[in-house]
Amino acid sequence: MRPLIRPLVLAGLAVALGLVVLWATGGLTALRLWAEAGAREVQRDLAGAVRGIAAGQPGAVAGLLGIAFAYGFFHAVGPGHGKLLIGGYGLARRVPILRLAGLALAASLAQATVAVLMVYGLVLGLGWARTRVEGLAQDLFLPLSHAAILALALWLVWRGLRGLRAATLAAPAGGLLGGRQVGGARLLGHGATCATDCACGAGHGVTLAQAATVTTWREAAALVAGVAFRPCSGALFLLIVSWQMGIAAAGIAGVYAMGLGTALVSIAVALLAVWSREGALAALPPGLARAVPLLEFTAGLVIAAVAAPLLWQSLGY
Amino acid sequence: MRQAGMALALTFVAAAPGLAHPHVWVDTGIEVILDAEGRATALRIRWDYDEFYSLLIVEERGLDADHDGTATPAEKRALNGFDMKWQEGFAGDTYALSGDTPLVLSPPQDWTADYQGGRLQSTHLRRIDPPVALDRPLTVQIYDPGFYTDYDISFAPVFTPLLPEGCRAEVLAPDPATVDRQLLDALAEYGADQDVEADFPAVGAQFAEELRLTCAR
Repeated sequence: MRPLIRPLVLAGLAVALGLVVLWATGGLTALRLWAEAGAREVQRDLAGAVRGIAAGQPGAVAGLLGIAFAYGFFHAVGPGHGKLLIGGYGLARRVPILRLAGLALAASLAQATVAVLMVYGLVLGLGWARTRVEGLAQDLFLPLSHAAILALALWLVWRGLRGLRAATLAAPAGGLLGGRQVGGARLLGHGATCATDCACGAGHGVTLAQAATVTTWREAAALVAGVAFRPCSGALFLLIVSWQMGIAAAGIAGVYAMGLGTALVSIAVALLAVWSREGALAALPPGLARAVPLLEFTAGLVIAAVAAPLLWQSLGY
Repeated sequence: MRQAGMALALTFVAAAPGLAHPHVWVDTGIEVILDAEGRATALRIRWDYDEFYSLLIVEERGLDADHDGTATPAEKRALNGFDMKWQEGFAGDTYALSGDTPLVLSPPQDWTADYQGGRLQSTHLRRIDPPVALDRPLTVQIYDPGFYTDYDISFAPVFTPLLPEGCRAEVLAPDPATVDRQLLDALAEYGADQDVEADFPAVGAQFAEELRLTCAR
């Protein structure tokens, strides 16, 4: 790691620890109150903006987009499952920061898309009532979301296990694990594919940089699905109201603006998760770098322990 | 160091129930109705819904075609009872206690609805069964256990016919920092078989504002 960057990276750990302490001691109460007051204000403004558009006021659509963005932001400031997923994933896997931020954005926009498809597919296509759509959100989409989270968690556990196994097999070979650059990469799981012969030839790419780019479409899909299949009721409200008032397009645009507002928060969480993880890694003595798959494994296990009962219960058992 | 990472991950996990944050806001008014012997016989609850939820309810019913935020007499009749078809087991988000003893409240009756200035307003009556003497403090709490709806006691309590002599009425709100601490304590004991998001029991009570009526003996 370049010397100039190291203090910056280490600071990530300090920031994360500071937030944990703040949270545990109730220091985030002010943040919660601020977000709730903001959400209440925005609720009023949203109704005004929708009325304004229906009445043909100039500039009302731009107003709605701004207010919907604020709605997404304020509702996302409180902790929620999307941030749990993005943050947990960023902690557990060494995913590049921009990629995780991109996934956070994609997840929020996918969530908006699910809301649009739900409302226009079911309410308009099949003539369902709002309460029935909300019932479906509970009965079908909630288990789907939980299943995606569980899949991601099990994937993390499996990767962690593979990493641990690779570390065990490679350990007798000595020097291989001595340096963080090589050892870290191996332990991130990428080297696991060659764990048995452990030649890990040059072409196989065991540098840290290359290992850090390892993410699969499966992980990305599970992450996005875990967030997306839980449409925000505010988005459903806006879509139904705007359709009823004959301004459907503005409502759909507003829901995507909400998604961007939500994304702003989850991207911040993604950045923080990666930053604090890198800080923790940088603070590890080289020998302890083998703890990385353990982190992966444990984070996966924790998320699975939470997601499995949720899935079970949301299926009606 | 990895413990630090896990602590953060666990924080995200533990914080998940925070998803139960309000999406609907209701300004609440409480009227306590007393009989000749000074016993509380009923509560009339007034709910003023926030502007956006009001708009949703009204537009969904195809009412207020001119979108002026005010109901005509005919629209008012069509709205009446819009929030009074309670599902089995719904407690009406109203909880009354005499001392520490929960009181039985009747299903809602004599309801009204109005739509003015872009806000839906409804009232309904809950009989206290049996009527309760005020020798112990009467507490009326207004909350959604799941905290999807945020109820505030926004109107001064009303006593019909009068606030009895020697009685004092206070509206109490919980200390936010205390609420957050209780929330964290509750989360620490959360069972793995509970859906922390769909089922967020009891904690809403900690956010509850309440009316407390205390009478000198």
